[in-house]
Amino acid sequence: MTAASLNISLSRDARPILISASFILVILIAGTFYTLSRLGTAPLLSPTYLLQQLQIGSFLGIVAAGMMIVILISQIDLSVPWTLTAAAMMATAVGGPWALPVGLGVGLLVGLVNGIGVAYLRIPSMIFTLGVNAVMRGLMVAHTGGFAPQTAATDLMRWLAADHSFGIPNALFVWLAVSALVALILRRMALGRYIYAIGNKEAAAYLAGVNTRGVIITCFVLCGIAAGLAGVLLAGYSTKAYQGMGDAYLLPSIAAVVIGGTNILGGRGRYLGTLVGVILIVLLNSVLSIMEMPEAGRQVIYGSVIILMLLVYGRGEKVTS
Amino acid sequence: MVEESRVENTAKERDFLVLSGISKRYGGVVALENVDFACERGKIHAVLGENGAGKSTLIKIVAGVVQPDAGTMRLEGEEVRFPSPSSANAAGVASIFQELSLLPDLSVADNISITSPPRRLGFIDTKAQRRRAEALLAEIGCEDVNPLMRVRDLPLSRRQMVEIAKALGQKPQLFVLDEATSALTSADVEKVYAMLARLKAQNIAILYISHRMHEVEALADRASVFRNGRHIETFDWGRRSTGEIVQLMIGRDIATQYPPKPLRPKGKPALKLGNLCWERRLEAISLEVAAGEIVGLGGLDGQGQKTLLLALFGVLRGVTGEIVINGKPVRPSSPAFAKSPSVGIALVPEDRKTEGLMLPMSIADNLAIASLHTLETGPFVDRAKERSAVEKGIARLRIKVGDSKDAVSTLSGGNQQKVVIAKWLMTEPGIILLNDPTRGIDVGTKQEIYRLMRELADQGVAILFYSTDYDELIGCCDRVAIMYDGRIVRELEGTDLTEHNIITSALNIDGAAATSPPGEATHV
Repeated sequence: MTAASLNISLSRDARPILISASFILVILIAGTFYTLSRLGTAPLLSPTYLLQQLQIGSFLGIVAAGMMIVILISQIDLSVPWTLTAAAMMATAVGGPWALPVGLGVGLLVGLVNGIGVAYLRIPSMIFTLGVNAVMRGLMVAHTGGFAPQTAATDLMRWLAADHSFGIPNALFVWLAVSALVALILRRMALGRYIYAIGNKEAAAYLAGVNTRGVIITCFVLCGIAAGLAGVLLAGYSTKAYQGMGDAYLLPSIAAVVIGGTNILGGRGRYLGTLVGVILIVLLNSVLSIMEMPEAGRQVIYGSVIILMLLVYGRGEKVTS
Repeated sequence: MVEESRVENTAKERDFLVLSGISKRYGGVVALENVDFACERGKIHAVLGENGAGKSTLIKIVAGVVQPDAGTMRLEGEEVRFPSPSSANAAGVASIFQELSLLPDLSVADNISITSPPRRLGFIDTKAQRRRAEALLAEIGCEDVNPLMRVRDLPLSRRQMVEIAKALGQKPQLFVLDEATSALTSADVEKVYAMLARLKAQNIAILYISHRMHEVEALADRASVFRNGRHIETFDWGRRSTGEIVQLMIGRDIATQYPPKPLRPKGKPALKLGNLCWERRLEAISLEVAAGEIVGLGGLDGQGQKTLLLALFGVLRGVTGEIVINGKPVRPSSPAFAKSPSVGIALVPEDRKTEGLMLPMSIADNLAIASLHTLETGPFVDRAKERSAVEKGIARLRIKVGDSKDAVSTLSGGNQQKVVIAKWLMTEPGIILLNDPTRGIDVGTKQEIYRLMRELADQGVAILFYSTDYDELIGCCDRVAIMYDGRIVRELEGTDLTEHNIITSALNIDGAAATSPPGEATHV
């Protein structure tokens, strides 16, 4: 009889999603009000502007999709920034038809290393992936000599990231495909069930005969591939790879997952929430830039919103063992 | 009317704790309904009832863990409200719950003094804390526990004793024990009895919850029976026979406690162990379990019985010796391998809350998790197949479920254990390992589990069954292997299978005399 939360169990997963969805509306309304009064226009209501924002947001969305899988098994992947950068640099360095596979391969490889470190060597992911991030960074500095690489993105990368089909950015289609895949894994496949089981109680999952090590490695590999894909696309969007291009993706991706209602301790959360979380962060960012908020102020607001959302969700939920 | 008011008056004078009109519901489930309850100083008051009868909720309200929706609580005549466990502690209520509350990575001494450590100049006085722990442990006869050991490294039974010492250290006026003895060995239970007798002499009120009737019989001065969230009756112990009490608890008759053991020739050996060793904890284990046979593992707690089950299930690294299943030698390297169809082992683990279930997940998810790979169509879980498998599992064990999408944590202890068992039956195992499956479970569910075990054996499943309850071993098993210090010291069968023989072998009293190897000891 430990669950006093029986009456809210139905809405427990949906509540954060509803809250962040309504927060998106608040951002849109407040932002529009501001632009109307100051500039006399309403860019936040124009489909072109919104699509452009979502196009930029799709890189974050892909990273967050991978991050969510890792957070669901109560781990974390802090190697995302330089996995993303390394994938972009390697892809542009190789060029030609192999650019995309090489970028994804880099992500896969880093994920494999992370997964083995966590599942077999039993090193806490917070430390292990942080170390891997530093190693990747060192390797990339050695590779480029610390300068911006002179290589350029291939046409395919540019088409995927920057071009439009039927008036909609291709990057959005890629994000949509990744989303569909992750949602399918989590909702319909045995792997998804094992992911939630491990996040809830790894010992119980192991004793139920779940190949927990295999699942943990798979999760890190998926997260690595997602980061690699985001890197390749971002290089395509910017036409080249550059130092530190992944740095801006670590905190926002974790924030998007958590804002979407995924329990940071793992085991609970819906993919739809992550999707909404990404959109919230992207819109918040763009409203702040329309307001010409200086970087320092943006960081403060951005951090406060994350803490605020967590406070709202945290109410009434006890951490029980 | 006159009669009633007189009773009320005397109640006000003598009773230490009085609950009136207490109700509590969890969502749609009524846990307690309009309960009146009272207990006195200097008496051991047993609270009886099946799992789900509301006993645990009652205790949690008294301990300040949950708050009642309605009703009042009086302590020595004064109305009190416990918004948190610490406020209940401050009022002199110390409780020991079914679930342990110790912090595994802190030392025994740290745990015992966790709420109010002795201080010196504002810092924790570790020496005083250690002395305090030693004194409290000595008081319950556990001098063998080193206060500096980490709780994690203690076996479950010792942890339970540490928990009791911790509660004792709070100098309670009301001492609440909720299934506190279910993990204890019989020697420890005796120590707890002695401690309770001392507390009683000190005029302390004691609430005692246990599913073990013989314990209640030995201890109780008064008893209250609960059923379906209602207080049925309170009486002085001795006013009602055991049969009547059981009747009150379940509202129906229990005919025989254990299903009859069939007389039939032994089947083919399903599981054969030869010279199995692991570290220093298992030494030269040789044992056979035939198809259709229930073999018990007995002995004192922590003599390697649980280790043996874990070794068979592939959890331990570095096991040496021979494991032969259906004539084929195997080497289980992980639970995933152990459950594969060619091996076909299932394990019902010791602690259902941390090892058996993912508590926040749904009943259906928990049931399907072990057999999910058999419910796939292409890369996806087939929802129709899954639903029918889950329904079959629920029906087979008669699990009381509102909606299989509810979290498994909303079920009572007995039904949770049924979920664990049903989960494994869905994998259609040939060998089932049971690690104390009836611990802290109500009488009705226990009997259902006994019947199920025999049913499975009749269908040709081999069962290896560890229990801390000797009565259960004698009642259920075709044969019992007694373990002592990592070895099987004796196998008991037929008329040899008596409580006396189990205890003498468990204590290894005749260990020196009985030099014959275990296999021969069974022939009289």
